[in-house]
Amino acid sequence: MEKFSYVNATSLEQVTSLLSDSGWGEVMVIAGGTDLLGELKEYIETPKTLINLKTLPGMDSISADGSGLKIGALATVADIAMYPEIQNHYTVLAQAAGSVATPQIRNVGTLGGNLCQRPRCWYYRDETVDCLKKGGELCYAIEGLSKYHAILGGDPVYIVHPSDIAPALIALGASLKIVGPEGEKTMSVEEFFTLPATNPYRENVLEPNEIVVEVQVPHPKSNAKSFYLKAREKGAPDFALASVAGVFEMEGNTCQAASIVLGGVAPAPWRSTEAEAALTGKMITESVSMQAGEDAVKDAQPLNDNAYKVTLTRNLISRAAMMAAK
Amino acid sequence: MAKHPVSLTVNGDEHDLLIEPRKTLLAVLRDTIGLTGTKEGCSTGDCGACTVIVEGKAVTSCMVLGVTAAGKEITTIEGLASDGALHPVQRAFIETGGYQCGFCTPGFIIAAKALLDENPARTEEEFRHALGGNICRCTGYTKILEAVMQAAEEIRTTA
Amino acid sequence: MSEKKEYKVIGTRPIRHDGVDKVTGRALYGADFQIAGLLHGRVLRSPHAHARIVSIDTSRAEAYPGVKGIVTAQDLPDPADKVADLGEGAVNLKYLCDNILARDKVLYKGHAVAAVAATSPHIAEEACTLIDVAYEVLPPVLEVRQAMEPDAPLLHENLKTTSLGETADEPSNVASHLQYKKGAPEKGFAEADVVIEREFVTGTVHQGYIEPHNATALYNPDGHLTIWCSTQGAFTVREQVAEILQYPISKIKVVPMEIGGGFGGKISVYIKPVAALLAMKTGKPVKVLMNRTDVFEGTGPTPASYIRVKMGATKAGKVTAAEAYLAFEAGAYPGSPVGPGAMCIFAPYNIENVLIDGYDVVVNKPKTAPYRAPGATNAAFGSETILDELAERLEIDPLEIRLMNGAKEGDRRADGPIYPRIGYIETVEAAKQHPHYAAPNGKKHHGRGVASGFWFNIGLESSVTINVNVDGTINLVEGSTDIGGTRASIAMQAAEVLGIPAESVNPSVVDTNSVGYTAVTGGSRTTYATGYAAYEAAQDVKRQMIARAAKLWEVDEANVQFADGEFSCINGKEEQISFRDLCARLGETGGPVVGSGTVNPGGAGGAFATHVVDVEVDEETGKVEILRYTATQDAGKAIHPSYVEGQIQGGVVQGIGWALNEEYIYDAEGTMTNASFLDYRMPTCLDLPMIDTVIVEVPNPGHPYGVRGVGEVPIIPPPAAIANAIYDAVGIRMTELPMSPERLLKAIGTI
Repeated sequence: MEKFSYVNATSLEQVTSLLSDSGWGEVMVIAGGTDLLGELKEYIETPKTLINLKTLPGMDSISADGSGLKIGALATVADIAMYPEIQNHYTVLAQAAGSVATPQIRNVGTLGGNLCQRPRCWYYRDETVDCLKKGGELCYAIEGLSKYHAILGGDPVYIVHPSDIAPALIALGASLKIVGPEGEKTMSVEEFFTLPATNPYRENVLEPNEIVVEVQVPHPKSNAKSFYLKAREKGAPDFALASVAGVFEMEGNTCQAASIVLGGVAPAPWRSTEAEAALTGKMITESVSMQAGEDAVKDAQPLNDNAYKVTLTRNLISRAAMMAAK
Repeated sequence: MAKHPVSLTVNGDEHDLLIEPRKTLLAVLRDTIGLTGTKEGCSTGDCGACTVIVEGKAVTSCMVLGVTAAGKEITTIEGLASDGALHPVQRAFIETGGYQCGFCTPGFIIAAKALLDENPARTEEEFRHALGGNICRCTGYTKILEAVMQAAEEIRTTA
Repeated sequence: MSEKKEYKVIGTRPIRHDGVDKVTGRALYGADFQIAGLLHGRVLRSPHAHARIVSIDTSRAEAYPGVKGIVTAQDLPDPADKVADLGEGAVNLKYLCDNILARDKVLYKGHAVAAVAATSPHIAEEACTLIDVAYEVLPPVLEVRQAMEPDAPLLHENLKTTSLGETADEPSNVASHLQYKKGAPEKGFAEADVVIEREFVTGTVHQGYIEPHNATALYNPDGHLTIWCSTQGAFTVREQVAEILQYPISKIKVVPMEIGGGFGGKISVYIKPVAALLAMKTGKPVKVLMNRTDVFEGTGPTPASYIRVKMGATKAGKVTAAEAYLAFEAGAYPGSPVGPGAMCIFAPYNIENVLIDGYDVVVNKPKTAPYRAPGATNAAFGSETILDELAERLEIDPLEIRLMNGAKEGDRRADGPIYPRIGYIETVEAAKQHPHYAAPNGKKHHGRGVASGFWFNIGLESSVTINVNVDGTINLVEGSTDIGGTRASIAMQAAEVLGIPAESVNPSVVDTNSVGYTAVTGGSRTTYATGYAAYEAAQDVKRQMIARAAKLWEVDEANVQFADGEFSCINGKEEQISFRDLCARLGETGGPVVGSGTVNPGGAGGAFATHVVDVEVDEETGKVEILRYTATQDAGKAIHPSYVEGQIQGGVVQGIGWALNEEYIYDAEGTMTNASFLDYRMPTCLDLPMIDTVIVEVPNPGHPYGVRGVGEVPIIPPPAAIANAIYDAVGIRMTELPMSPERLLKAIGTI
């Protein structure tokens, strides 16, 4: 780890003004630090200054009312997973948060950090590899080892977005609040994430002098069922090989609306409009659910080692749909 | 790159320290304070050997900067036994053979303690989930789970 | 030894003597060691898998504030200078030295090139980046079959294949070829009604001990060198350091700290000689720690392998012939465990006609090291899968076919030895009678598999001294590092002899200056051989105590009897004194009693295991879940049953990890892409059921209490047992390890 100077945050204004002076990487913010510390230890990031956000008051709160949830960016992943209202009415979010990393990491890692965490790609995380994501010429997954890489939306960088919480939030139609030197702005979580075709170096639209401060989640409809299915190599803890966040508005066995967002298969959480279309308005049967899975992966472009993810994603989507019908 | 004055309460004792910002909480505990019972196995938060309790929650101290723990109350393996008596989890680990080499043991015991402080009434499946952040390479976990369940039973019945 | 013996201490479950230390954080492991004036060392490692070292320039690093010393291979004695003294041995010395610090070539990514001692770990790490190494990068060879190709890049220009005693003319990556033959395999296959042959591939896996390697060295101006470290064998460290540094063994003291797991991976030295060199160069104590990446990239894993197995059987289920071709990756230097693999592969069975060929092949990966029954797990994955397939084709129960062909006392193994009393059949019977095997197994996608395994176990030298205390307790001094409760299992054997409780023994594991030579904690030998030495030391104490009682009573020693902790006089006087009371009277009868025992026993007695596993295969995700697991094993005599169970459970779970998740994933340049505990996936408690164990006791005639080693054999059956269960569940024969979701989905997709 390189040396850095350290500042405790006192206000959002102070944070954004400290960030404003630099581009990416000179001044960085730390909250739980469970992702950033890994990057610091491996010299992937070498900031001159770290700002500790945890000293900002009130930003770790979770509140719920009839219209929805407000979750501060400093709320821990464990708090989200264990919050009774979230467990009862936002199942997909509780399940996604509960599937993150280890109990110890969930106790420290924050919502904001989970959304803004960097890729787990083994080329990106190797300090000696100057890959496209880090400003180099090449995405090494294309010719190299790609077992854990993207099958959708990859070009030109084939990382997968590692967040479990992001697909759940998008499936629930959540939005987030960002604060920068110009004040605050709100956008949908879906718009927040970007594909490498737009920007190969970052995974979201955040500017170097902005931070995420809050997420708002609208209350799901009373007939909504939601699930987070995560396929991984170990029982846990492990990142997703593929995951499905699904919110289904059901009338009996008929799906009135479906919101299906995939994790672990694309450089950003990936809404499958194809799967949604295949289910919406349909009575869910085995063949309908399988069709939804097929449709979701019809444009998949696997690399050398990850064709299995196509099968896996297809199967997970149809499994989620069948669970909604039960 | 000035060092930062940091006060920590570790096992009930207050420590006023000057810490280089890049030092992890684990390094502060082991090297600065000298509490070497907490172990470093992976430095990436994956093995749980460095688990300590910060403000009632189990955390992997290798993934926390010492400076961010300022003002916090911390319990390490050295702080578990009180008045010369072992904590029920410690005793259960000895009695069941819940460890072999002993290196992951402080992390497991601390993780289990945090868990039991929160709620000792759990199913085997819940204990498995709660201990999923700790790796043991010697025991195959059977006797670890037996130890934790034995301790939970004791805490429930004596509570 | 066949009759059941009654024991007072053996077979009970006392609390281990290091229990409190290890649950309170007080036990001191290598990284916990502190000494005044300590410097911190860091090793610079090769970024290339195969390259010639053109030059190393340390001048920038030396000038860096806080740096106190830098070493490279130039600081090691040059083995080339030793050819006159050592002859052929100089080659081995060169390999040994080059693996510590590369001299002319780096042969794997992570190969140590230089090391820095500095005033802080951060400074040492930063200084490493200031060492300029010029490499001429060479193409790497990363897989055993590729390495055997005639046009493969050569790791060692002078390495020539030794095949059945002959050395080839041309250099090759094949270091050696061995062969075991019994009977007439061709004739045997001709007699078979069914012959099955398959190829198997297994990945490189690591022991995965949680404690990284560590060493602290101190060099005194009088020439005495002390090393505090984590090791499976302090004496082995002393020997290796002496050889590598060409330094007198009498001037080296190795202090074994507590050890955080080894499984075979902490026998070879890596950073210990480096710490010693840095200490010699700086005159200060130097501590060198590995991080997890260093451990994966810079220490010996167990080899990947390519295996072909062919077995034939009659309709009645008699296996008539078996053939195996084993090609094992040695890593960068010769010395894979293909030998033991070849000796173990068909060892549970009495097969008349056998042919086994083994190849030891160098590749650009870390030099492999032992890992729990080294070589046997790879081999059994092939043979136990084929045997399962034979049983299925012949419609014979898989345990039944094992009973029909199982080896017994008097049978000869293909590599020569004739079995003494062994307990293989008993493990199969125990598995068959276990409720698990009778439980229903018919659900969709559920399957059951079985497999067996054999491991030799070893004897080797051990020494124990016992100092008798006036209060009737004893202090037991031993040289076997305690990785899993051997303080207790050794102490209990001495306690049994002396008729005292296990708690009356204070065992200490001491440094190399303080006890007689003791070989490694490995080969499943510690409870067997060091326990044997403790038995002998206790017998020595007993003899001396009898003499004291005789002196006290003024009778002939032959008239003193010792039983149940009491000395009594026979043939005459009505005298009786307890062990404890006699201890209080040692002063007046001639002074303290110190007993000693040293052994190098030959009768280690092989260990067998038979496992039953139930799995559920999720055909949609490729995930295999272990639903139930039962392991039966012949322990000879379980000294401390809890710790025997623990050894079995731990071995099984390592085998499960090997079967389902664990492997080194290398890219084309030879970089291990998954060198962390996140990406190298070892089982957690969420991946497993409770592991059920059945200890079978067929006493080993080569030990006074019948002990057989227990530590290694349980890792052998799991991969094959799980593969067989997967077949039972979904009808697919998995022949490549690990059987990950990716591979399962691929296999399911192609049927």
